Amino acid sequence: MDPVNILGKVIEISHSNLEIASRIEAILNILGHDMRMEEAVLYTLDKDKRLSCRFMNRTSRLFEILSGYRSHVGEGVVGTVAQKRVPQYFTHRDVPPRFGCLFYAHLDGATDRYRSFSFLPLSDDSFVYGVLLLCSSSNETIVDSDKIVLSIISRELGGILRTYDLLVSSKKRISELATLSELGRVLTSATEPHFLLQNIASITAKSFNAAFITIKLAHSFVRLDFQRFTSGEIDAAMEGPLRDLESEALRLRRPTSLADHALETPDGPRLALYCTPILSKDRVLGTITFCRKIEHQISMEEDDQYLVSAVANYISSGLETSFLNTKLRDVLKELGDAQKRVIEHEKLRSLGEMTANIAHEIRNPLVIIGGFTKRLAKQVQLDEKDNRYIEIIVGEVSRLEAILNEILDYVKDTPLILEPCILNSLLDEILYLLASDKSWERVRILKEYQPDLPSIICDVHQIKQVFINIILNAFQAMEAGGKLTLRTEVIQYQNASCVAVSVADTGGGIDPSLLDNIFNPFFTTKEKGSGLGLAISNKIVMHHNGHVEVRNRAGEGAVFAVYLPINNKTLSREG
Amino acid sequence: MKTARILVVDDEEHIRLLFKEELEDEGYAVDLASNGLEALEKLKQATYSVVVLDIKMPGMDGIQTLGEIKKINKDQPVILCSAYGEFKQDFASWVSDGYIVKSADTGELKEMVKRVSGA
Repeated sequence: MDPVNILGKVIEISHSNLEIASRIEAILNILGHDMRMEEAVLYTLDKDKRLSCRFMNRTSRLFEILSGYRSHVGEGVVGTVAQKRVPQYFTHRDVPPRFGCLFYAHLDGATDRYRSFSFLPLSDDSFVYGVLLLCSSSNETIVDSDKIVLSIISRELGGILRTYDLLVSSKKRISELATLSELGRVLTSATEPHFLLQNIASITAKSFNAAFITIKLAHSFVRLDFQRFTSGEIDAAMEGPLRDLESEALRLRRPTSLADHALETPDGPRLALYCTPILSKDRVLGTITFCRKIEHQISMEEDDQYLVSAVANYISSGLETSFLNTKLRDVLKELGDAQKRVIEHEKLRSLGEMTANIAHEIRNPLVIIGGFTKRLAKQVQLDEKDNRYIEIIVGEVSRLEAILNEILDYVKDTPLILEPCILNSLLDEILYLLASDKSWERVRILKEYQPDLPSIICDVHQIKQVFINIILNAFQAMEAGGKLTLRTEVIQYQNASCVAVSVADTGGGIDPSLLDNIFNPFFTTKEKGSGLGLAISNKIVMHHNGHVEVRNRAGEGAVFAVYLPINNKTLSREG
Repeated sequence: MKTARILVVDDEEHIRLLFKEELEDEGYAVDLASNGLEALEKLKQATYSVVVLDIKMPGMDGIQTLGEIKKINKDQPVILCSAYGEFKQDFASWVSDGYIVKSADTGELKEMVKRVSGA
């Protein structure tokens, strides 16, 4: 066939919109058919620079044999052509047996039918992309004009392979970008650090096609002490090497890998580990380790290593941001709490004034009613029924007076009578007082006191009232019996050393919707409660510059924690 | 035995009446005043073993009245009496001789009057 026609077809195909593989195969078929090359086999370079058969024409028989092996550049005829980028032409008489490679054992005899063998490099000015092998049974020698045509065609094929390479690497870049942008999205969403790390692990595991990815924190952070976040499963055999590699990366502050001494599991795939430290400005936050199955290539590619360190950077900045966020949130919460306390104070003050007035206005008529009723009862002879009525009036008057006393107790700002007090002993005293009642047999009392608890300066009488209140509440919450745990300890609370006393019951806890209200005056869930007990307790503790906190253990019970400062400067100055 | 004389000062008419009757039952002679000025008038005219003085009154309140009384006679026994419980701890600084919270149960009042009057 006319070489111009052939070249025309080849160029048309090479510039078509067909898929890369289809273009190559179509050109190989043209070579086979129009130039009567029964074998047209194309070698490409793998990522690890080895040549392997990838494409063939329709009539190829050798492909099956040749594709079983890969050869290094410089090895055999194919390798030499790739290395020197010069075509080599042989006849059946001078072609090296097995194409110069020992391992093409099955080739013996398979090439007998061919009379000419052409090996052409597929390259452009700077790079070789593969080798084209052509065998023909009709022509013994390739004439110079055909050599020119073949060299043009091999240039075209080289161009197609180059496009293919570019396409693959840009696809890879796009997927890397997608991974990074997904990581960016995760990092900017204001999630908790531990969700963040878990998400990063799973996103990168997917993107790297890793057997597992594990992030290990080397620093003790807020609520994230030395935790590990893993996507995928860590084989038991890998645990030891993994830990060694992690500490190595931490020590050296640079990536380390176990790729060169790949680990062999008995039946499983060969695995390689690659570990990068997560570096922040002035500290190492942890490590991220990738585990991959080893297929053809042994070591991790440079591109991937670049991506891994990008991911490590992302994690580092993500963690730092997240810690800042957490800190900020804590500060905000503290601020909110302080504000709440101020509002509470205000509420109490205005409420106090109002209630005092009301109580006063009510008290006088009450005294008059009760006082005269009693006088009547003394002076008039009444029958039993009337006496009963009188008793009821007097009884109800006393009840009202008791309520007024309680309200006024809540309202009044009694000055504190300060003295040192060891809370362990005070709690024991209260327990002795309360638990001597028979009804307390249903409750098991657990004391978790810190021995040698330092004493605090307080109004013992008032503080006693606080704990009586809280302990009685706990007791009343456990009608069917339960466990009452009293715990004392010294802790840091809002930058001050405090004695913390917590009272935990197993009474099922407080309805979360009510939690906000339980310190409000007159708020109660009990049938006969005044709603003042906790309000008074809270107020007393506030006067001591302390703080009462409620925690709900869902389904279990409630914990009331009272924090009282040990060195109460404001108090001691006033006292 | 000479009857001890008590002056009850309260702006509430019925409280005055109740205290008067309750104290008379105990054998005291009881005079009444409905405000501070009236009380001071009474004190100029007669001698009282004890003055039972309400704190919250319109015009001159109990604490002011107490000051005036002590100016005239610093040894005059006075019992402060109020619907407020919260002043209880301050009564000593007001140099009164006792403090009671008003109650339908007049037992405490009687006890206090008995103690302060010495009768």
